[in-house]
Amino acid sequence: MDNYRFKYIFKKRLQILFGLLTFLLFILLSKIFYLQIIQYDRFNALSKSNSIKVIPIPPKRGLILDRNNVILADNKLVHSLEIDRASFSGLAEIKDRLKNKLNIEIDTFDITNKRISYLYENTAPIAFSLTNKQIASFVAHQYLFPELTLKQRFIRDYPNGKSSAHIIGHINRINEKDIDFIKKQNLTRQYLGSSHIGKSGTEKFYENLIQGTPGFKEIEVDARQNVIRTLGERKPVPGKDINLTIDYRLQKIAENAFGEKKGALIAIDPENAEVLAYVSQPTFNPSLFTNGISHEAWADLNEKSSKAMLDRVTAGLYPPGSTLKPFVALAALNNNIRKPPFSIFDSGRFKMPNSSKVFRDWKRGGHGTVDIIKAITVSCDTFFYGLGLELGIPKLNKVLNDFGFGRKTMIDINGEKSGLIASKEWKKKRFNQRWYAGETAITAIGQGFTLVTPLQLANATAKLANPTLSIKPHLILNIDGIKQDQEKDEWGKQSYKDEDLKWVKEGMINVTKKGGTAAFLGKKSNYQMASKTGTAQLFGLKKDEEYNEDILPDSLKDHALFITYAPAINPKIVIAVIVENGGHGGSVAGPIAKEILDAYLEK
Amino acid sequence: MLKILQQYKKRIDVPLLAVIFFILSFGLITLSGSNLDSPNIIINQITNIFVGLLIFSILIFTNPRILFVYAPILFLLCLLLLVLVHFFGVESNGAKRWLAFGAINLQPSELLKVTLPLMIAWLYKNNQNNISLGIHFLAVFIIFIPVYLVFLQPDLGTSIMIALSGLLIIFLAGIPWRLILTSTVITIISSPIIWMNLHAYQKNRVLNMLDPFTDPLGTGYHTIQSMIAIGSGGGFGKGWAEGSQTNLQFLPEANTDFIFAVYSEEFGFFGIAIIFILYLLFIYRIFILANHMQDTFSKLLTASLGVSIFSAIFVNIAMISGLVPIVGLPLPFMSYGGTSMVVSLASIGIIMSLNNHKTLIAN
Repeated sequence: MDNYRFKYIFKKRLQILFGLLTFLLFILLSKIFYLQIIQYDRFNALSKSNSIKVIPIPPKRGLILDRNNVILADNKLVHSLEIDRASFSGLAEIKDRLKNKLNIEIDTFDITNKRISYLYENTAPIAFSLTNKQIASFVAHQYLFPELTLKQRFIRDYPNGKSSAHIIGHINRINEKDIDFIKKQNLTRQYLGSSHIGKSGTEKFYENLIQGTPGFKEIEVDARQNVIRTLGERKPVPGKDINLTIDYRLQKIAENAFGEKKGALIAIDPENAEVLAYVSQPTFNPSLFTNGISHEAWADLNEKSSKAMLDRVTAGLYPPGSTLKPFVALAALNNNIRKPPFSIFDSGRFKMPNSSKVFRDWKRGGHGTVDIIKAITVSCDTFFYGLGLELGIPKLNKVLNDFGFGRKTMIDINGEKSGLIASKEWKKKRFNQRWYAGETAITAIGQGFTLVTPLQLANATAKLANPTLSIKPHLILNIDGIKQDQEKDEWGKQSYKDEDLKWVKEGMINVTKKGGTAAFLGKKSNYQMASKTGTAQLFGLKKDEEYNEDILPDSLKDHALFITYAPAINPKIVIAVIVENGGHGGSVAGPIAKEILDAYLEK
Repeated sequence: MLKILQQYKKRIDVPLLAVIFFILSFGLITLSGSNLDSPNIIINQITNIFVGLLIFSILIFTNPRILFVYAPILFLLCLLLLVLVHFFGVESNGAKRWLAFGAINLQPSELLKVTLPLMIAWLYKNNQNNISLGIHFLAVFIIFIPVYLVFLQPDLGTSIMIALSGLLIIFLAGIPWRLILTSTVITIISSPIIWMNLHAYQKNRVLNMLDPFTDPLGTGYHTIQSMIAIGSGGGFGKGWAEGSQTNLQFLPEANTDFIFAVYSEEFGFFGIAIIFILYLLFIYRIFILANHMQDTFSKLLTASLGVSIFSAIFVNIAMISGLVPIVGLPLPFMSYGGTSMVVSLASIGIIMSLNNHKTLIAN
């Protein structure tokens, strides 16, 4: 091959090669064109999702206040001990060291179960609410714990401890059931970053108001998920502050008056159905739940005999006993039965017509001549046995229904029970048994099957005290300082004649007068009160058997009930009290109510 | 002094050097954008360029006859270094590619990019009046030895690169078309055997090239991140030093093998079009120079040095854009690293030296 020919071939080959290389570059450019121009949106999105993360910032929960802005549920800034994300695996060892060196016990909840709110923070809390001493001791020994830092966080705080627990309710960590609920309600966005949710009381009922709206922080992270910088932030909107109708001063007096006794008390303003005091005893400390309750504490709260978690005001079902009598009396008067001056002579025994069965009055020997007013005042059973039989269950039940028994009041607390108004149909359905005349007689004195909640008693008494009341009882007063208009009770106001009511009221006023069942309460009073005592038997006495309080175990002792409103003219407050196993209503439940009346009316 | 500068100016090919300076500055700009907080890397790279230009300057004043005379010795020396790598090389990521001479890390396979073309050009020059089939086969054999040694390191990318540029020299030397066709057929038939001899990680890379998104967090990760970097650059890029894929370390080896992905992310399709034009001008100018040279040695050496650099550019960009598997190959003139920079600039120095001495070797 000569040089000339080589040059010729070489030139040809160079041209071919240049063409080939240009073609290769063109292929490359096409691929890049595809990536950068045609697929730009896709890759741009991928690039952003690679590096930009949106982190929810949980909102602060709204405060719960009483009607005078006394704080019932607060958010407290606490010092928390937080662990670096990189050191999660060494938590057990750090836990031991903290315990041994600084005597700080860290919370037990599972930190490896990473909450969304912790995921892109560089640290996660392992201990909340450090004491000043613990903080000082940690700061002094911080060099021993390079993986820990001291931070500040907001946690829910209940400054009054166990007081008002059933009204306030409690919050707890969001569990799987809550997540299902949140998803079903389409509230997932609302709960991004939140770790807690309302579980009972106001915390639960007004959860959607208290919760607030989470904010968002857009951050840039690197390939190792370290936060590089914040790109943007939308501040969370804190939950709404809620003023309850509760008067904490009154609440505290009621709780103190109750002492260690079990039972419930509710005070309502009959003008507007605002709940002024709401006591359910025994109670619990809502703070116990905030960071996961221990098994022991939970078992303790649910112990059978005390049932601290049970809200007795709305979900405690009790036989009304004699507190039902004013309503029974009203039913009779409304049906023109036993209207004064009608009276009977009470010998202490009531013989059932067409039967050998005999019912006894609570007072041996009876009350003598008794009209309907006196029957209320002295709580004459004999009078009401006969009244009940003549009136019959359907007419009685109509009145009970008009006064809100046997159905929920629709108060703004979850878990309210509707109680029970028994009837022939009900008994057939429930027990498949016929209704006996004797059952009508004892129903008329508040025994039998009838079950009421303390709230229903108070609500019915309020309707008695203020016939124009048509608002359902409620706990909400203001939301973010704005007064809330209340819904009407769907059954509206009761419509009984004033003259009928007058006789019932007169009977009730006389209860705390000489000869009444709670006469001693009226002795030192600057105002007139209208009341009714009640004693609910928990077991039936056999014929001629006597009730002897001294030999009965506590759990079988009668429930003491007391309903009252005062002043008798233009009533300002209605109270229903039940003391479980308290014995006689007038002497046990009455004084508790009286203390509240005194505090409220003579303040 | 002025005289030296005039001499200097006379000895360089201005269009080619201008193109290279543009590419060099694009590389430096990109590198500095992603290393704003580590000035050492930028200073090192400037030093690398400086050393490269120094050797470039020495070479343009060197008589290429020396290269011609020493070509076989340089080649054998390089083979020796490759063998030494096999025994004394610095191991990293399961591969031995570097020799440590004190502070300097030398990558003999990079030196091959110069010494192999030298050797082949020498072979054809010595037999320029009798380029027979035997010579072509001998050339293939000579190429095979270092390719195999580099393949053993293992460094699949570089061995393919070297084989490719070596074979292109034979093509330029005028190997008959029928031989080209035959060998292509043989290569296709023998490809299963090559496949079976690949390392597991190399097989994975090939498989992932077919669809990197099948294993996005495993073997496909680098390809995907690199494609995301390029794709998210769009028409005009995210701007200098604004590449999120780069700055947030989603992109692997952003300074070295993947620097073009950084460039694509920050300067977009527009920037890529510009640099592609520069690449085309680069190879075009080298081919013009090669065509104008008079002797077999100069022609073959010039063209093959240019093709060698161009192939590295092509494979690197094809790799980061997901066209070929990730093989670990620097981008000439742009990637951070001394050996590649010095070798590339030295190649240009040799080309210009050959250009200055057209007549010297012609005899």
